[in-house]
Amino acid sequence: MSSGDEDAAPKPAAPAAKPAMSRFLRTAASDSSSSSSSDEDEDGDSDEDEEQEDKEVKKKSRFLRDSDEDSDEDVKRVVKSARDKRLDEMEATGKTMDNALKINDWVAISNEFDKLTRMVQRQQNMAEPVPPFYVRTLVSLETSLNAALAKEKEAKKKMNASNARALTAMKQKVKKTAKEYEKDVKRLQDDPEGFERDYAALAAPEVAVPKPKKLKKIADSADEAEDDDFTTVGKGGKATVYTSEGIFKNLQVIQEARGKKNTDRADQIRVLEKLLEVAVTPYQRIRVLLALVSSRFDYNVSVASYMPIELWAAAQKEIDHLVTTLTADSTHIVQEVTPDYDELLERTPADEPDGIVRIRGSVISFVDRLDDEFTRSLQHLDPHGTEYVDRLKDEKGLYITICRAEALYEKKQQSELLARVIMRRLEHIYSKPDAVLNALEAAVSVSDVSPQLSLTAQGSPSNLINTLCVHLYKFGNTVLRTRAMLSHIYHHALHNDFHTARDMLLMSHLQETIHSADVATQILYNRSVVQLGLCAFRSGLIKESQATLQDIFTTQRVKELLAQGVHQQRFQTLTPEQEKAEKLRQLPFHMHINTELLEAAFLVSSMLVEIPVLASIDSEDQKRKAISKPFRRLLDFADRQVFTGPPESTRDHIMQASKALQNGQWEQCRDLIQDIKIWGLMPEAAAVKDMLAKRIQEEGLRTYLFTFAPHYKTLSLSLLSRTFSLPQRSVNSIVSRMIWTEELAASLDQSVGVVVFHRIDLTRAQQLAQTLAEKVGSMVEQNEKALEFRLGGSSGWGDRADGAKGDKRGDQTQERRGRGERRGGASRGARGGGRGARFSQGLGGQVTSRK
Amino acid sequence: MAEYDLTKTIIPYLDRHFAFPLLAHVVDLSIFPAEDVAAAQYELAKGTNMVDYAVNLYEQLNPDTEIPEEFADKREKAVSTNERLQQEAQAVLDVIENPDVVQALRQDKNQNLTYLKDNYGLTLEQITALYNFGQFQYTYGNYSGAADYLYHFRVLSTDTDLNTSAHWGKLASDILTGKWDVALEELNTLRESIDARAASAPLLPTSSHIESLSSLHSRTWLIHWSLFVYFNHPSGRTLLLETFLAPAYLNTIQSASPWILRYLAVAAILSRKAQQATPGGAPTSSRVRHAIREIVKIVQLEEYQYSDPVTRFLKELYVEFDFEAAQRELQIAERVVADDFFLGEFREEFLDNARYLISEAYCRIHQRIDIADLSDRLNLSRDEGEKWIVNLIRDTRMGADAKIDLEKNVIEINRPALPVYQSVIEKTRGLSIRTQALGAAMVRAGTQQPATVEGAR
Repeated sequence: MSSGDEDAAPKPAAPAAKPAMSRFLRTAASDSSSSSSSDEDEDGDSDEDEEQEDKEVKKKSRFLRDSDEDSDEDVKRVVKSARDKRLDEMEATGKTMDNALKINDWVAISNEFDKLTRMVQRQQNMAEPVPPFYVRTLVSLETSLNAALAKEKEAKKKMNASNARALTAMKQKVKKTAKEYEKDVKRLQDDPEGFERDYAALAAPEVAVPKPKKLKKIADSADEAEDDDFTTVGKGGKATVYTSEGIFKNLQVIQEARGKKNTDRADQIRVLEKLLEVAVTPYQRIRVLLALVSSRFDYNVSVASYMPIELWAAAQKEIDHLVTTLTADSTHIVQEVTPDYDELLERTPADEPDGIVRIRGSVISFVDRLDDEFTRSLQHLDPHGTEYVDRLKDEKGLYITICRAEALYEKKQQSELLARVIMRRLEHIYSKPDAVLNALEAAVSVSDVSPQLSLTAQGSPSNLINTLCVHLYKFGNTVLRTRAMLSHIYHHALHNDFHTARDMLLMSHLQETIHSADVATQILYNRSVVQLGLCAFRSGLIKESQATLQDIFTTQRVKELLAQGVHQQRFQTLTPEQEKAEKLRQLPFHMHINTELLEAAFLVSSMLVEIPVLASIDSEDQKRKAISKPFRRLLDFADRQVFTGPPESTRDHIMQASKALQNGQWEQCRDLIQDIKIWGLMPEAAAVKDMLAKRIQEEGLRTYLFTFAPHYKTLSLSLLSRTFSLPQRSVNSIVSRMIWTEELAASLDQSVGVVVFHRIDLTRAQQLAQTLAEKVGSMVEQNEKALEFRLGGSSGWGDRADGAKGDKRGDQTQERRGRGERRGGASRGARGGGRGARFSQGLGGQVTSRK
Repeated sequence: MAEYDLTKTIIPYLDRHFAFPLLAHVVDLSIFPAEDVAAAQYELAKGTNMVDYAVNLYEQLNPDTEIPEEFADKREKAVSTNERLQQEAQAVLDVIENPDVVQALRQDKNQNLTYLKDNYGLTLEQITALYNFGQFQYTYGNYSGAADYLYHFRVLSTDTDLNTSAHWGKLASDILTGKWDVALEELNTLRESIDARAASAPLLPTSSHIESLSSLHSRTWLIHWSLFVYFNHPSGRTLLLETFLAPAYLNTIQSASPWILRYLAVAAILSRKAQQATPGGAPTSSRVRHAIREIVKIVQLEEYQYSDPVTRFLKELYVEFDFEAAQRELQIAERVVADDFFLGEFREEFLDNARYLISEAYCRIHQRIDIADLSDRLNLSRDEGEKWIVNLIRDTRMGADAKIDLEKNVIEINRPALPVYQSVIEKTRGLSIRTQALGAAMVRAGTQQPATVEGAR
């Protein structure tokens, strides 16, 4: 729940503070620790025992269970109820124990005794004396135990194993407890009447004072610490409790109660708020604030839900207060590691050797936690409700807080923490459009504290992001650097700066190491890559877009990889823990990349790449090699459909458009594509549509030529230009390119203005010869592969094969091996497959490994 | 034409002394105001020990004012330093020039050092004097002297850093004295040493960071310096392609200095003739043979960072197949090439080769070509065009396929499709070699671990 440093604060404090406490409290403290350990032991046992019990005696077991449930409820009630009720409950437990004693059920006795001990301890924590009832029970238990043991010795094989075990455990426990309360036991045995009277006298004044329990407790402990006298308890009123002198003691008490099961957190917070009001010196204020913020974060223990929003807002305000205090006052520093100091003393800069008061605590972890809680609340809210939008408005405040913390660390020159806080800041703005970013920055600039890096200083949002990232590259650790790099790439991609983003991605070699990164970073990587693909699409780089998006779409788990939804697995069910972890990872809705838009972009670019290729190949064999498998699958499925209705979904649109394109009906294709609603979500949708129309014309022409060339001897260029309403020049250029790359067996006749096709029809024998040659070739390849597999891909053989296959491939492998910053579409394509595997390794690998 | 001038871009990557010829060239071009250039020259010269030259320039710039005192001081200082350094160096030189010593020197540097130390009392510090003197000579423009001293130093010294520095100094001196053969040799050894250093650099993420950055820097410098050599040495263009298209250098160009693409493109266009001229001669590597194709790819990739008329010409011709645009770009490119410091001498050759590329592409795509149209594309008059085309047909392989029809004024090109048997041969060509390799590998594996092969059968 809380980070290590927060824990660290109270722990070392405990031994230092102990001598000041009463003897009584001390026993309580040591007792609680010992009992908690025995609790743990017991828990496991009792579970088994109960099962066995079930089998043996049904009636008894029911009884047992009932009592269990009862007491459970009672325990809950105890937290709220007065002392008398607790006493009653103790007695009820005692009765159960008596009953169990009668039937010689030591398992039940052991359970009940534990319960009782716990109750007493709780009471002692409240600084109430030990009730005589408890001591009496203890004494009677001891006697009956001895009797039982004696009986056990005589009668052989009478008890079952679990019962016997419980008996021995009981013996140990009672012995230990009896030792602890030795004095009380003695007193009781000597003078039972007097003991009870004493107790009544002690308890009476407390009952008389009608105060909330918590306050009482604080009063108690405060007074106890001063003078070791029980009788004055409760006499001290509020005025004495909340003075600036008592602050440290109160803080100590609260810190000790922290993390214990029955602490009332809301009350603690209230007390701390009051303490804050009376705090005078900056030291006091800082100490109280540190405690207050952490107790606010403690308020919500469950991992599944989020912190209440009011509490969050209060915590945010207090962190602001804390940071402002620290920024204004250079004589106080909050550090995670400090030399030991006495928590109970007031400290001033004058006392310290170097004039700086160092206080244990961590502002950065508060900021982290605040940010995380914000994200978590967004994860739990309904993204379509007004609540979500209202919550989103809080981001501005949070952003200012982060900037404030940044300014603080800038001032204190703690570069490592500064890097962390800058990363937080970056994470808030990297995926935002400029307008939102401007708004956030504007809010910062009007606030009182401003960090060095701001929008006004940097000029443009991109510059701001750039400066933040550069700072992280310089000072951050590896994880922060990686995340900064990915955020930077995302930002570039968002601003249609495809080339810069791509170069950064390739030059950083992130794709080689990303599979070993943590899940959150992998998600960020996936997001960046996907955004890059979208960026390529917007810029009209269809091929690049297709290649970039291909990897993530072949996994068919787009939503999961982008942390925008939990993947539904057909054959396996996730364990609850996995599901919980998955849920925690989800991005809040406003950060999502629209997957439908993504799919539309991917399928349309696949269509533009794949359809001409499909048209150009004629043998079945080649047809199997698809560029984009997901697209091909959909297309095949659409082909098999007997009846196709008017398109409804995005996929329908694209499938029908693909068919139209295959038939050379580019206009229909264009209309279908442009009708897709989801384009509305894309910035500069109109420009993108125009670009798509142009692409469709060109690819339509290519497809047409591939498909219908066999049926023509010559084809007029002007006719082509009219059919596809392309300018003659671009028709010329497209046809020329196809001839040059030998995709089309044809040549141009300039004087007449036609394309002349040189189609040679092969005779059957010739065809067979060619097929044979191909088959032999593929057989050799197969053999090579098989041998390579056999030899375990030993390098010597691999090299030789490369050499035999020709220079070009040798060059390529060399390039890939060399760790030079080779980049570009050509080599990217080659890497594609590898990266696809990596994608699935990335998040999916973790999922499977968890199973 | 100033917008295509690369002088400003290149100078930061050159030594101070290289800038003088470049600036002198700029003066000739007169595309920049003469005063600015002169001021730049003066600023450059001020930083060197070429005091007289600086004074000259100062007088040119400020004809009326007195020459500042500092020059006299500087001159004096330079002269005295020169004498001091020379004396120091002379001591070493005397020893080295002794024929006995020359006889005794071996390949092993450490051994040489101990020999010199034992017999002549020469220490490493004294040898460093050679370096100092060489460097000083370089600063006042005595390049050949500098080259000598640095050479001697390098032979003797074991200090790696100074050796590298001496390497660069020697290369600079050789370039400035115009000894291209020596410079080329120097360039190659320097390149090897840089590559070796980069390769031996540990792959640890921490150190490789700085290491790869430094090798990127030295490669960038090497690329710029080598332009002097490659465009002056007779077989420089082919070597340029060989070097620059190596993956390591290609990366350097792409990431650090995309403007080098111009020189790469020009070299590729120029080297077409070179391979044509020596059919069956020295086999050019596949890299050079496919240079144009490679470069077109890179030009396309880097278009967003750099483009100039030369690269645009290639792009229009081989990517867009827009002959009109290509011919337009060629016209501009011709002037750019003519104005370029390195390329100036190759203008004619460049134009010739570029035309050839255009007509080659044109002929491959078309079946019937109007001669007038082609002449137009090549930016030639009718008659010239015809002559050009006839030469083209005679020179190239398409001699048999192309015929000129004078009556209609067209060229007819008949390219029969590749016969089936040929494609079958093509496909099955490598099979026997590959199968042999397969067999060899199996035998080898069999000797190592017979059990595996047993299983393989």
